[in-house]
Amino acid sequence: MDDLYLDNIDEYVNDQNKIVTYKWLSLTLGVHVNTAKQMLYHYLEQRRKEKSGATLHATYLVSGKCLENGSMCHKVSVVREEKLEDIKSKLDMTVSIHVYSIQKSELKDSGPLYSTDYDAVKENLKNCNKYSAIRCAAAVPVSSGQLQRAQEKVLAAAPDTEGSKPGLNDHMAAASKISVKQPKGIMGMFSSKATPKSEEYSKEVKTEQKDDASPAEGAKTRPSSKADALSKFFGKPADKNAATDKPDKNIKEEVEGALTSLSAVSKTQSHSSPEHKQSIKEELLKKSSAVKGDSKDTGNKTKRLEQSDSEDEKGESQKTKRRRIKQPQPDSSDDEVIPDSPPVPEPQTQSLENEVKKEPVSHQEILEGKRRKRRRVLKSKTFLDDEGCMVTEKGYESESYSESEDDFKASSYPSEDSVSLKQSLGKREEEKKLKEKGQKKAPAAANKATKQATIFGFFQKK
Amino acid sequence: MTTLTRQDLNFGQVVADILCEFLEVAIHLILYVREVYPSGIFQKRKKYNVPVQMSCHPELNQYIQDTLHCVKPLIEKNEAEKVVVVIMDREHRPVERFVFEISQPPLLSISSETLLSHVEQLLRAVILKISVCDAVLDNNPPGCTFTVLVYTRESATRNMEKVQVIKDFPWIVADEQEVLMQEPRLIPLKTMTSDIVKMQLYVEERAQKGQRNAA
Repeated sequence: MDDLYLDNIDEYVNDQNKIVTYKWLSLTLGVHVNTAKQMLYHYLEQRRKEKSGATLHATYLVSGKCLENGSMCHKVSVVREEKLEDIKSKLDMTVSIHVYSIQKSELKDSGPLYSTDYDAVKENLKNCNKYSAIRCAAAVPVSSGQLQRAQEKVLAAAPDTEGSKPGLNDHMAAASKISVKQPKGIMGMFSSKATPKSEEYSKEVKTEQKDDASPAEGAKTRPSSKADALSKFFGKPADKNAATDKPDKNIKEEVEGALTSLSAVSKTQSHSSPEHKQSIKEELLKKSSAVKGDSKDTGNKTKRLEQSDSEDEKGESQKTKRRRIKQPQPDSSDDEVIPDSPPVPEPQTQSLENEVKKEPVSHQEILEGKRRKRRRVLKSKTFLDDEGCMVTEKGYESESYSESEDDFKASSYPSEDSVSLKQSLGKREEEKKLKEKGQKKAPAAANKATKQATIFGFFQKK
Repeated sequence: MTTLTRQDLNFGQVVADILCEFLEVAIHLILYVREVYPSGIFQKRKKYNVPVQMSCHPELNQYIQDTLHCVKPLIEKNEAEKVVVVIMDREHRPVERFVFEISQPPLLSISSETLLSHVEQLLRAVILKISVCDAVLDNNPPGCTFTVLVYTRESATRNMEKVQVIKDFPWIVADEQEVLMQEPRLIPLKTMTSDIVKMQLYVEERAQKGQRNAA
């Protein structure tokens, strides 16, 4: 091929300060992706040989097989050039390495990689895989009739399965996200998208195809494969949960048992080197979303069980940090069990969240047999921790509310709620919050009934 | 095709909303990319269908929101000529100024759905440009702070001083030290033109960032 493309790439990278990914290049120049990859490679070689002024940064896509916890998995990662050798050495067998992108700027995170491809793909949406090397004869657009039927099915199935789905996604994505959201080192450029040979969740496959470079979503595909197997685990607790409040503790153990087996899966995602754990913990504290509030703790729990020896090294010095992590746990460990735990982060649809909120499941309901329900509300708590650092955590909190939204009834319930919560959950934090809410509601209603009393109280004090 | 004029305040509000949302994202991103604050306080969020970095620190977020809340009325009336994010070193002398020049055409003609998705695309491009601006700028010295300046008409300034849009959040006339930069270099980043707004983003950078300039 003639060398005009080298000038083109030079112009894009140096003059226009663009990020040139192989996908963007293939769509822009109208060439097959493999050609685009080779073009980038040649350009990089040429520039490196010349050693001319401007420094170029490159990212690579590495994929290969590695053995983790006894199972072979296929890992696909986008890595910075500096980390390339490191990652290669960790793979048992390297299947492919190619240049992912070339840019002048040293990217701090992988967001711009995705943005670069977004518009190019959007313009060519109908034939965005025209130049791609991935082919599947069975993948054809559905006819509108089929589409309608599928949509109807989804709507019908949604109330049944959505309970288990979000729960699964949480736990699956949890540990994987822990490794994904590290501030330095692994985060950003290094997204491990391990795709095991077993089948994948269709929804997440689609998102993966769209968001090639986005680590967070890529990470989800891997755990999704275990979704089917684990749905059994979560199906049972859901039923038990409905029965009494006592099983909550048993369920937790069950879930833990389930999660220990999960950890085999989750650990493929997790940082292998210990020094990242600290940054992860910090990251976990700072970054907060409902999902993480729930599932990171389970992820942490299982990790603690399994990796207690490696963690103990840092245990003493990390004591303060560990304490921080434990705090959110009491809130959410019970929530893991409830099938309608909140769904995964931003990339996922908001609609799922709304659906989940509409159907709160609670043992409260069964206990009291009245129209009290518990719903999960996203609350953001900012507090100063021991070291005087400000910590903001967002978490789903269970909040009692009555269907009829009757204040009067609300006043009698909160105290019952807090008592039964004490029994079943035995966590101080949750109690505190509910008590606060209970107190808020109680005086609200109390004021109505005993207004005169408070006024007289004021005068008496004088 | 509907033709709306500036007097159609509803539409003016829509444009102001879009711009203020965009400016919020842009300010957060500038703080992230230029390392004004440690990257640990930022988390990935989604805006315009792409990942962006937004801070989680409540006071910082509140400050930025309050700032833009006060700027919004100016944009509505098309009185804000420029919105500038100034990054200053320890001695409170500007090292970098990200200048958003905003102009809105007096007569707006909008078509149907394509308009807003087109604007979104343009804003996405500006965001992307901010993400890679570190390639064309020198590194900032440590310990930088930032502030937001608005260039507007004198009458608007007096109004802002009279009417505090947000309590305990006063706007003051910026002093020369914050406005003028020594030996500025101009680096254009992005220009965007659309039916509802024209925006230009460029960076004024001080030639010597690390040095302490003699008074």
